[in-house]
Amino acid sequence: MATEQKREPHWAMVIDQERCVGCWTCAVGCKEINNEPLGVWWNRILTASPNEITGEAAAPSPAAPASDNIDVPHGVFPALEMDYIPVACQHCNDAPCLRVCPVGATFRRDDGTVLIDYERCIGCRYCIAACPYGVRVFGWGQEKRDPDFTVGYGRDYRTDGGRLVFTPDRPTGVVEKCTWCVERVDEGQQPFCVDVCPTGARVFGDAGDSGSEVAGLIEQGGATRLLPELGTEPRVFYLPAKPERSLS
Amino acid sequence: MSAIEPTLALPKARDRIVGRGWIVALALLALVGFGAWIYQLTQGLVVTGMRDVVSWGMYIFTFAFFVGLSAGGLIMASAAELFGIRSLRPLSRIGVMTAAACVLVAAMMIIPDLGKPARVWELFRYPNWRSPLVWDVIIIVVYFCFASADLIVMTRRGIAPGRRGRILRMMALVGLPAAVMLHTITAWIFGLQISRPWWNTALMAPVFVVSAILSGTALVALVALAARRFGRLELPDETVSALRKLIITAICVELYMVGADYVTILWGNVPSERAALDMILPGGSWQWVFWLEWIAGGLFPLILLSLPRLRRRPGMMALASVLVLVGVYAFRIELVDGGLLKPLVMLAPGQSMGSFTAGQSSFQLIGNYYPTWVEFAITAGMMAFLALLITLGYRWLRSLEAGHGAAEPEGAGG
Ligand code: SF4
Ligand code: SF4
Ligand code: SF4
Repeated sequence: MATEQKREPHWAMVIDQERCVGCWTCAVGCKEINNEPLGVWWNRILTASPNEITGEAAAPSPAAPASDNIDVPHGVFPALEMDYIPVACQHCNDAPCLRVCPVGATFRRDDGTVLIDYERCIGCRYCIAACPYGVRVFGWGQEKRDPDFTVGYGRDYRTDGGRLVFTPDRPTGVVEKCTWCVERVDEGQQPFCVDVCPTGARVFGDAGDSGSEVAGLIEQGGATRLLPELGTEPRVFYLPAKPERSLS
Repeated sequence: MSAIEPTLALPKARDRIVGRGWIVALALLALVGFGAWIYQLTQGLVVTGMRDVVSWGMYIFTFAFFVGLSAGGLIMASAAELFGIRSLRPLSRIGVMTAAACVLVAAMMIIPDLGKPARVWELFRYPNWRSPLVWDVIIIVVYFCFASADLIVMTRRGIAPGRRGRILRMMALVGLPAAVMLHTITAWIFGLQISRPWWNTALMAPVFVVSAILSGTALVALVALAARRFGRLELPDETVSALRKLIITAICVELYMVGADYVTILWGNVPSERAALDMILPGGSWQWVFWLEWIAGGLFPLILLSLPRLRRRPGMMALASVLVLVGVYAFRIELVDGGLLKPLVMLAPGQSMGSFTAGQSSFQLIGNYYPTWVEFAITAGMMAFLALLITLGYRWLRSLEAGHGAAEPEGAGG
């Protein structure tokens, strides 16, 4: 990890909704690198109308979803709209999950990454109730995989004084979620979802370094966050799609 | 006035058999629940009906219910001491014993909900002071110790009556705020969460306190009536009447608060807040909780307790108490799962389920929860264990009384 003199990075992610085509490659890539069992998704691509839950002016939440299915435009013909919101952990600056965790199993590293210590979590699921974004997944039972072998990073990863934040087979009864691929990022690589995105819609980097691409994208204006009115200050930013992209 | 009329006459043979059968049945049920928990330990929480969207279910709303039950006794005993409500005094000991038993079982109820129950000690080793759950653990421990201490002071021999009264009054000064805090903090577990508009209301704490008083009083009434029927408790009419009035008032205040919350949400018409309420109000898919809370547990007991012709029958009081308990349980369900059913970010395909069943989607958009037999068995086992504790506790109190010979007037001289 960083030497003492080096400034701690402030990781941030920018997702360009203008570029996102809703292909789920990042979600599947995330499943692969992290060996997520059947029924567990740390990253999902939600189908929405443009800026549905981002932006200060937007209504905080839809009254009812347009459809149970993905890729179904919202609205009534011919005024149809559709947009994709890839959602994984937002690594909130003021994370409700971290506040409620009774044993401090959920913690934040100095670089802003919110992680779960699989050896500390008691499985109370208070964090699932507290997270506004629905990104946490519980290990309800024995993990199932098909085909039944381990893929991805494949080793344990410990950080911040030996806390176990990644293990290929998560124990039953603990909560897991997106780790911002700490095991890769700490070695100078990009998160896997960023690497695999075919349209380059995902950008990850040090928001504290004004020369970085993420800092530039956040700076250039127009970047929004999910449910900003809650004050959780996510470190994942969204660049909304341009209006003309709607289907009407 | 004695708390429990000592009876030196042997109970009738039939009653003894009934009493024994009751205890054996409860013990068996508790064992079945324990067995179900062992089974759950081997499989994981996948054997419950909970999944990622509705991630808290029967264990948590039963926990909240048990916490509420513990209110009645201690608040009643403390109020009797502090405000000198003589008519409630005969129930002090039963009340405090019931409170201690309820809060103990409430704490136990958390264990089967944990994914890693063996790590529960970490709550004391690594407490995160910002977590309302940690506050709750502390107040539960404090409350249990306090109720036990209160019980010891009430039952210990060799304390002069005047001194006992002074100690009890002093303890009541702590007991009343402790009871209020217990319910307030338990309410805050839910009420402080910005992620759940249905929970996130300042009303949560007061509603919890009132519904706790309501269910707690109903429980004490039920225990007292059962003790009068099977255990020869001397239950003066004025005590029954005080209980009746307390229950009526608490029903009205509780429904008033919940109703005020409904109106606020309906009038404001904010979609994320309407989402939960629309499921609960008549016509919604969870409307049964509404009927149980408002009609079965609200209107019916009110009628039973207030109509002069009905209320004189002791059976009606017992029935009303049972209905009140059902209504408050429905309120806990409404509260806990109402907040979870429709997440704030509710867009297709929804949340990951966390488990996989062949042929079914891995995602869930709107929560859906139905407890499994494991949850029913464990919860029934816990309820049986609570009933067992209260029965044995009552017998213990009675044996103390009998041993004392003449019971000392507690708290007299005020
Ligand atoms: S998105 Fe949810 S899990 Fe991630 S940091 Fe924020 S509150 Fe926690
Ligand atoms: S489930 Fe684990 S990570 Fe979540 S609040 Fe409980 S102990 Fe913390
Ligand atoms: S950063 Fe890593 S863990 Fe998070 S969504 Fe992307 S691939 Fe998954």
